[in-house]
Amino acid sequence: MSSSVDTAPAGPEASRSFENLIAPLVPVLQQLTRLVVLLFMVTTLLFFMLRLAGDPALVLAGNDATPEQLAAIRAQYGLDKPLIIQYLNYMGNLIQGDFGRSLASGEPAMEKVLNMLPATLLIAGLAMAMSICVAIPLGAWLGFRPERADRRGVSGIIFIFQGVPGFVTALICIQIFAVNLRWLPSLGMEWGTIFDWAITESFSIPIPLPSKTWILPSVSLAWFLMPSLTRVVAANTAEAMREDYIRTARAGGAPGHVLLLRHALPNALLGAAALIGTQFAFLMGGAVITETIFSWPGIGWQLIESTQTLDFPVVQALAFCIAMLVFLVNAVTELSFQFLDPRLRTKGS
Amino acid sequence: MSEVKVSQVGGLLGGSEGKTFSWSKVRQVANPEIVIAFTLFTVLMILAVFGQFLMTHDPMQGDLLKRFTPPGQEGYILGSDHLGRDLWSRMVEGLQWSMACALLANIINLAIGSTLGLLAAEKPGMLRTVINQLVYTLQAFPALVILICVVVVVGQGFWTLVFTLGLLAWVVYMRVVYAEASSLFQREYVQAARLAGVSRWSIMFQHVLPGVRASLFVIFAFHFAGLLIAESALSFLGLGAPLGEPTWGNLLAESRQYMMRAPWMLLVPAGSIVTAVVTMNLVGDGIASLSRKQGRGMEA
Repeated sequence: MSSSVDTAPAGPEASRSFENLIAPLVPVLQQLTRLVVLLFMVTTLLFFMLRLAGDPALVLAGNDATPEQLAAIRAQYGLDKPLIIQYLNYMGNLIQGDFGRSLASGEPAMEKVLNMLPATLLIAGLAMAMSICVAIPLGAWLGFRPERADRRGVSGIIFIFQGVPGFVTALICIQIFAVNLRWLPSLGMEWGTIFDWAITESFSIPIPLPSKTWILPSVSLAWFLMPSLTRVVAANTAEAMREDYIRTARAGGAPGHVLLLRHALPNALLGAAALIGTQFAFLMGGAVITETIFSWPGIGWQLIESTQTLDFPVVQALAFCIAMLVFLVNAVTELSFQFLDPRLRTKGS
Repeated sequence: MSEVKVSQVGGLLGGSEGKTFSWSKVRQVANPEIVIAFTLFTVLMILAVFGQFLMTHDPMQGDLLKRFTPPGQEGYILGSDHLGRDLWSRMVEGLQWSMACALLANIINLAIGSTLGLLAAEKPGMLRTVINQLVYTLQAFPALVILICVVVVVGQGFWTLVFTLGLLAWVVYMRVVYAEASSLFQREYVQAARLAGVSRWSIMFQHVLPGVRASLFVIFAFHFAGLLIAESALSFLGLGAPLGEPTWGNLLAESRQYMMRAPWMLLVPAGSIVTAVVTMNLVGDGIASLSRKQGRGMEA
């Protein structure tokens, strides 16, 4: 993608400076086109899928509606027109930012989704942070001397953990901490007390203090993310430790911790960053199953809820949001590689 | 017995079965992990194929007088559930269901993913752009919505699950085939085949695809594990197997109400899922290390 910078032909000064001006924008424009096509495909696909799945008039009117009531509702919402006209109307509204209203509650669909978003971001952030805090030191320790017996044992355990699906971890956590020990609540989510961090007299940032309800969902999600991340960090560290530059540094008398922390780990983390990006993008789709098990009011839970009740506008808004977030996370990951990996930095810029 | 299997897979990878077989070679490749992997794999396969003969009870028939029997008592190897049904037999039945579902979905994924990967890798152009955009969309698309829609329209069932998973989860194959085949299409032997007038499809499937075979075996194993998880997770949510069908996901869902009384109802299906997934991951690792060794052997 950045090759356009390297291969810019050496022309007259003027066109060259124009090229230099445009060149950094090319990847951005490419990404934006991708995003627009992506959102278009997602909404179009969903529109027809959802219409195939059910009749919105029936959802609105309920099962015991008379044919007259149904006809009235169809006329009111424009559902009596041909599907293609409905689709064009829908897309027209969408471009103006109108996602329609929830068939279940009547509130604007997008607003409803945006209200759900903080809970999902919270659990994703907590789980990711926990997973990273465990996986990187553990992976570095494992990869530093992978041949030793203790590390082989720990690697084996992590390998088994990798085979434990997230919802199984969640169920076992509930069994132990909520059912047997009665330490933690297993259902629902509370924001806890809000602590206002006053920056100035008039401006303060509300910071929710951790609540007990956060622990089980985020720990079981982190438990699910951690093994694969640890394995990637360990494998990359082990590989980096075999490189020539490590041998040179060792021959130069660098102590073990310098070899690991200064030379091997930064390279290993590069590979880990890619996986962290992928995992975070996955979490943006809402950790559907974890959220459902713990009745966590995030977008994953809402997705199941709305699709099962055929709440078309909310499903559309959810899918739009998820696609957008996944795109953002992927784009940020891709961009951050430019900063993290010196080899990718383009000359001249 | 498991060692024979190792040599067979080694043979599959190298395409030189039989003539180079020797026990010293088997001993060379059979590290403990591979032996464990293929032992477990053999056990799983035996349960999947001959499960009908290994069940001790009818998985659907309960004895209400023997509800919540702990494991190992009154002839129930793994205990009984809330309706007095034998958990061992239900576990075996679930294994057959999940294995068949994951296997079929995996084959569909393999076919779609590698075909699209090859098409995208062949040459730059419209087709490549369209396929890449499709992959991109699928990654950002909440696939669960599609599944729920399909379930609403045609109802839950084995084939619903096989085809939705089969049609939606092929991205991993496409990406790997695309990445590896792109460089293979530049090789001289492909150019030569092209000049010799070999047809486009024949170049793709007979000349390039064999070059990525080793990677496909590895993904097949790992993806199988992933599909097992997906299948049980969806059944657990009530979107996969029909209610009442004793799949692992359904067993887990049933266990939720009886966690206090009968923790084994949770532990049996949970343990089965973990064992199956770990086995398939081990098999994937094993094949990967075998093919690495073979690659090194050829270079030397």
